This record gives sequence, structure tokens and C-alpha cells, in this order.
Amino acid sequence: MSEAIIKGHVGIGPAVEGIALSASDNFSTRYDLDRDRGVVSRPSHKLYGENYVGRILVLNAAKGGVASAWMLREMVQKEKAPLGLLLNDANPVMAQGAAFAQMPFMDRFETDITQFIKTGDQIIVEPALGLVRILSVD
Amino acid sequence: MKLNDLEQAMVEGAHGKAAQWAIEYQRSVGTFFDAEDFVPVRVIHVSTDRETMGDSGVEFIEGLSQLPPAERRPRSFATADFRGFDADAFKFLLPGRDLIAESAQAVAALGKLGVVTSHAYVNDHSVTAPGFGEACGYSGTPSVIYMNGIVGARCNFEAGPSSLAAFFTGRVPRYGFHLDDKRIGTHGFKLEFTPETIADWGIVGALIGRKLNSYWSVPILEVAGPKPTILDLNHMALSMASYGSTAMFHVIGMTPEAPDWKTACGGRSIDTEVVSRDAVDDFYAEWGGVGEKLDIVALSTPQLDIPEMVQIAEIFEGRQVHGNTTLLVYTPLELKEACARIGVVETIENAGGRVVHGHDFFATFAKEIREAHGWERLMTHSVKMVNICEGYGYKPTPASIPRCIESAIAGKVLP
Repeated sequence: MSEAIIKGHVGIGPAVEGIALSASDNFSTRYDLDRDRGVVSRPSHKLYGENYVGRILVLNAAKGGVASAWMLREMVQKEKAPLGLLLNDANPVMAQGAAFAQMPFMDRFETDITQFIKTGDQIIVEPALGLVRILSVD
Repeated sequence: MKLNDLEQAMVEGAHGKAAQWAIEYQRSVGTFFDAEDFVPVRVIHVSTDRETMGDSGVEFIEGLSQLPPAERRPRSFATADFRGFDADAFKFLLPGRDLIAESAQAVAALGKLGVVTSHAYVNDHSVTAPGFGEACGYSGTPSVIYMNGIVGARCNFEAGPSSLAAFFTGRVPRYGFHLDDKRIGTHGFKLEFTPETIADWGIVGALIGRKLNSYWSVPILEVAGPKPTILDLNHMALSMASYGSTAMFHVIGMTPEAPDWKTACGGRSIDTEVVSRDAVDDFYAEWGGVGEKLDIVALSTPQLDIPEMVQIAEIFEGRQVHGNTTLLVYTPLELKEACARIGVVETIENAGGRVVHGHDFFATFAKEIREAHGWERLMTHSVKMVNICEGYGYKPTPASIPRCIESAIAGKVLP
């Protein structure tokens, strides 16, 4: 057991520690989530049926359009939000949403984040430093 | 980010609390994307549909509107749309909810701020558009890609809170598609066939969007046969945005920054892929449903124009929508009134369809509507709607408008 560090671009929001929920798939709050129940609701999504509330979501790219910016804040206020969000490739909407919700958010990592971080990993996200620490690497 | 004197004064609160919030919020997003500075904008479009905003969004806008006027002065012209104002339709779609009442606070607050509220979705057609090369701050997904690709204006996805911030500051961070080099095509595609319907064009967009899978990729398309219409391109573009988050595209010989391949590529060499008829047919087959009972046909996303409304009325030829199927046809209020004057609304409604105005199917509690009616199989000509409604628990089937209407009459999905 050891700690690993992945560098990314400086992100948005406060530092956070939590359990990762990771998949090599893309992300939209409107397309993929049942925001009332806090689960991934899109049948073709690799995290289909998973409860994301209180987990740090680790996914590939932001997809779709503008809805996520309002929605992330609403999810935070209704306690149906992930603890944080890590993407290989963000779009402006996800960054605008994270800034509006003050949700920890990072992208542009030195490696494919969805391959490096597995579901269940304990991680610390430090957006201001552009770092993610994985506490449970074998 | 570099700030000029005006922007620095906004940060310090000299131009009111709304501008102070807005410039700091915009600076955080601009810094995230390495923007060097801001670019002034004249026209803003604020996405404010009730489902997306949630209660927290309404409260936020109300909070801004309650500031003294001196604390919330705008610096640009803004329209907002898409809140759901067809009372009769909502009484049928969601009997337990009064969306007009739920939206009233937000509409009043937007009006107090000076945001012009319109009930037409995709306002690239309903307001004076920015010109070629002009920076703008649009938040409708289809509007952004339309402005970038077809008009040649310059815009990133400026989602609801972000465009609202631009309303107060009169500027947006200069990154992404405000920069010359980001607008250059990165991936080439050639159509080896001529799409025949709007749905075909939507699928072309979906295939390209899935392939690129990044906001920062810019597809270049070379078409075969007759040039597509602007409506064809609009469906292709919003489908690219839906399946891949694409916000900029070129069509050789059609869009303003792509007179030829060399210009569209910025002189660089790029790989080109072929989009085939077989790939489009495979996409249709992926969603299936042929022969199944049809619960709902929703023709929207974007709302229909007058020729599409006329086309639907002509297909019926005195026939009726099947009793097992609900047909919803969406158009802006102004176009519904125009269609009523030529008898089109009456024809569709006499055939058993519902002409709905003031919102769009996917964006206004489509999941709750499905649950309220027990609907499952959905048909639509909008390939974007197919993508979204799958996540809301529908089994969607993309098809042309004629096939959708014939299926609605039959009560089942026809091939």
C-alpha cells in the first residue's frame, strides 16, 4: 500500500477527500443521472444503477450541452451531488457549473484518470494545487 | 487573467454587487481555461428552463433582482426563454404540477433585472443575431453551435449562471472559440451519400459527436449531392453537441470559415473519415422498436418551424392518431398562432394531436411525465431527444417526421 499523486490543471472548488466512483465513460448531469434518487440512470452508461451521492466521480469527458451548470448547484443544495468531479476533458459548462456550485473539479491530467483511479479508491482532490492523491494504491 | 480598469473596478465593487459577483465568477472559469483576458459582448442568451434551474436557480435570480437598482445594472442585452407556458398542455402532461406558477417568480425576477423573456426555444431565429466574427454569450446548446458554425459569431457554451454573469459585466472570458486557432478544424469527415431526412442529418451529427467526444474538437464536413438546408445543419449540429459536446463545425463551401479544405484546416494536414449510409442505418437499428406499441410521439428539439407544421398536417389526410398513442407537436407560440391562421393547428388537433407551445419536450420534466403516464416507447425525428430521453427511462426510436406520423396513426412503430 502506498500513495500516488496525479497532476492535472489547476481546478475549481475546495479540497476534498472521499471514495472514487470511476468508469471510462462520459458525463452529463441531464443525460446520465436520476437527480432525485442520486443514481446513474442511463442504461448504456458504465455506471448504470450506481449511487454517486457522496462519491468522487471520475469519468472521461463532459458531454452534451448547457444544463449541467444550473443543475450541479441544485444537486449540492438538495444533497444529491457527488463530493467532487474529475474528468479527463472538461467543457465550459462543467467548469461553470462547478464554480457556481463550489464543487471540487479538475481536468487535464497527465494520464488517463479513469484508468489510474479505480472505484473504491480513497482519494484526496486538491484543485488549487492541481493534484489528486490516491491513498490506497497496491 | 489580465483585468482592465473597468473590470478591476467591478472586482472592487464599484459597479455594484451583481457585477462584483459576476466578474469574480467569470474570472474563476476563465482562469480554469487559461483565458488571458475578457472579450466584450453585446448580446446574451440566458438558459432558464425551470427543470434545469431548480429551486436554487430561481432563488439565486430572485436574490439578484432584490438588490437595489444601482447594485444590479446590466451591461448587455439579454433574452431568456424556455420555461414552459402552455397551461393546457401541462394540465395534460403533468396533472399534479402548475409549472406556470412555479416559473412565475423566475420570470418576474428576470423582468426586474431587465432580461427580456421570450417563450421560444433556440433563439438563434427569434432575436437579432450577432454578426460574423462578433463575440456573444449564448447559453442554448444549439444556439451556441449555430452561432459558431453557421453565423461565424464567436461563443463558448455560456450556461445559465455564466450568461447571467455576462449580462452584468458585458463581457466573457476570452478562451476556446473566441480564439482564431481554436476555431480551425481538427477532424475531417466526408459524406458518401445524401441524407434524405432531418433524422438522417441528426444521425450524421450523432456519429461525428460520438467519434470526437470532446468540446475542443472541431469537425469539418464535406457533403455529397445537394447542399443541406440550414434546418438540416441545425439538427446535425445540435446532435453533434448532444453526443459529443461539440460547439463548432465547418461544412466545406457552406459555412463562413470553410470556403475550402485548406482554409478550414488552417493549412494543416488532417485525417478524413467517411460517414456511410450503412453507419446511419446501423444507428437506426441500434434503437429498434419496430412493431412495438407506440406510447408517445414527440416532435420537438428544436421546436418545429412552419414548413414542418404544414408537412405534418398534410400527412394526416383526414386520418386519426391511434387511441394508444399521444402525439405532441412543439412550436413557439408565435408560430403556433401563425399556423392557426392557415388552419394547420386545427388539422393536427382534429386528427388527435396536441400542438404545444412555450417549451420543449425533453427539457421540461420529461422523466416525471413518463412516470405520470406510464409511457415507454417514444418516437421522434430529433436525434438529440433520443439521446436525452434514454436517460429518462424512455425507449426512443429515431425516425423521419412522416414515419413518426404514420406510426402515430398505426399506434405502433412502423418500419
